[in-house]
Amino acid sequence: MGLLLWAELQKLRRSNIILVNIFATILVAMFVFFSGKTTVYDSHAVGWYMTIALVWSTIFVLPAVIALLGSYMICREEQDDTIKSLRLIPINEAKLTVAKMIVTFIFSILVYLLLFTITFLTEAVLHFSDLSLEVILSFLKMYFLQGIGVFLVVSPIIAIAPYLKKSYWLSLVLAEIYSFAGLFMSMSNISKTFYPITAVFGVSGYYDTTTRDWIYSAIVLLLCGCLSIFLLNGLNHRQKRKKSNEEIV
Amino acid sequence: MRALLNLIQIEFCKLRRKKLIWLMLLSAFVMPFFAFLYFRYFGNTGLDPVMFYKWSAFGYTIFIILPFVLGVLSIMLIHDENRYDMLKQLWIVPVSKMGYFFSKFFVVLIYSICFMLITALASVLFSVIPNYVEFEWSSILFLVEKCIEIGVLTAFATLPILATSVSQEGYILPVCVTLIYVFAGIFIVQVNAYFHPLSCILVIIARNGVIPGGLPEINVILALLIICVWGSFSILLANITLARESKVE
Repeated sequence: MGLLLWAELQKLRRSNIILVNIFATILVAMFVFFSGKTTVYDSHAVGWYMTIALVWSTIFVLPAVIALLGSYMICREEQDDTIKSLRLIPINEAKLTVAKMIVTFIFSILVYLLLFTITFLTEAVLHFSDLSLEVILSFLKMYFLQGIGVFLVVSPIIAIAPYLKKSYWLSLVLAEIYSFAGLFMSMSNISKTFYPITAVFGVSGYYDTTTRDWIYSAIVLLLCGCLSIFLLNGLNHRQKRKKSNEEIV
Repeated sequence: MRALLNLIQIEFCKLRRKKLIWLMLLSAFVMPFFAFLYFRYFGNTGLDPVMFYKWSAFGYTIFIILPFVLGVLSIMLIHDENRYDMLKQLWIVPVSKMGYFFSKFFVVLIYSICFMLITALASVLFSVIPNYVEFEWSSILFLVEKCIEIGVLTAFATLPILATSVSQEGYILPVCVTLIYVFAGIFIVQVNAYFHPLSCILVIIARNGVIPGGLPEINVILALLIICVWGSFSILLANITLARESKVE
């Protein structure tokens, strides 16, 4: 598994996807800052920037970015026709998919930590004396959990991508609408607890929730993770069937 | 002119093979459905039709749903031809560089208008059937007129994404550009409505104060000029890139 993870990271180094995504995260942070600073928010309150950056980036951009990376990594072997060479080695395809999902999971956490770093440094420049260690740690926990949670909720969309074959674009459109719908699902308490995107906010501590609702939201996230495992497992079985059919022919 | 019409016809013939593009039209129902949920949650009936349409067609549809869908469509149209190395054959025919670009643009334009007409139809269905607004031809004609305006203007506002897709071989950068472009549109409108093409669309459709809660100062000429400037730069970029690509090939 270690070797597969290393190989996946090497492949990513050759592609510009990581750099593009880092740049996208920085731009998102910039737009939220200028918009928040000039108009809506009270920029004297501690944590205003860290709060709004977390919400808007999760609703509009980061789930789609994470889904894009995940589906790109999983679909690229088929697209670039490198899957044949991998089968010749032979590589365990189930392990390969797990390695790709682990890299996406790490990427999801790192993207949120990058966003945290940008927002924290900006807050420190704006009002360093008002920032306490407690506030910083609570936001760090929130961003970290958000990274884990967003990966879990978009993982079924990543897992659908290989089934869609040439229609993997659909997974991107689905991810964007799915995350955007979170904006409306926060209207009622039930949808806020059970809709995966808003459930992430409950688990990360952005929303004040009761212990019961927190548990329900955590179960929703775990169910999303289980669904993606189920989908990827089904994909591996399908590939094995296809391979044995080819051998018979 | 006839050659361009032929190219557009060929583009539509190619679209018949892409089922996903027709599936993406379903996203036209997203905002009318959320508007329905929103007014249902607050239990409002006997609404001013424009208030309902503001949510279903003149709000997030302009800023998120339609530009994102058109962005993905533009990337799909360009990327699939790059991927299968069809450009060489097109240059051999020969197809003019800008004819190729504009044929793609006209597909986006017609798709955009169709998308907005479906949004208009869905808005009427989701507002009249649950009895939120009364059925009036005048308000429906107003909605259709505004939807056609939005469809045309958003297609022009998507020109930068189309130009980015033409300038890139892969799809990662254009997808990220689409996400950031759409995200920037939402946030820049609060700072300056006359910078981003998407915020300029809001200025144009809200002229004469027809949409409640619109922008206080409206300069339609400036908004149109901004869209033209962005469009011209995009066409220039596409022209330079395509000329360079055809020389290399």
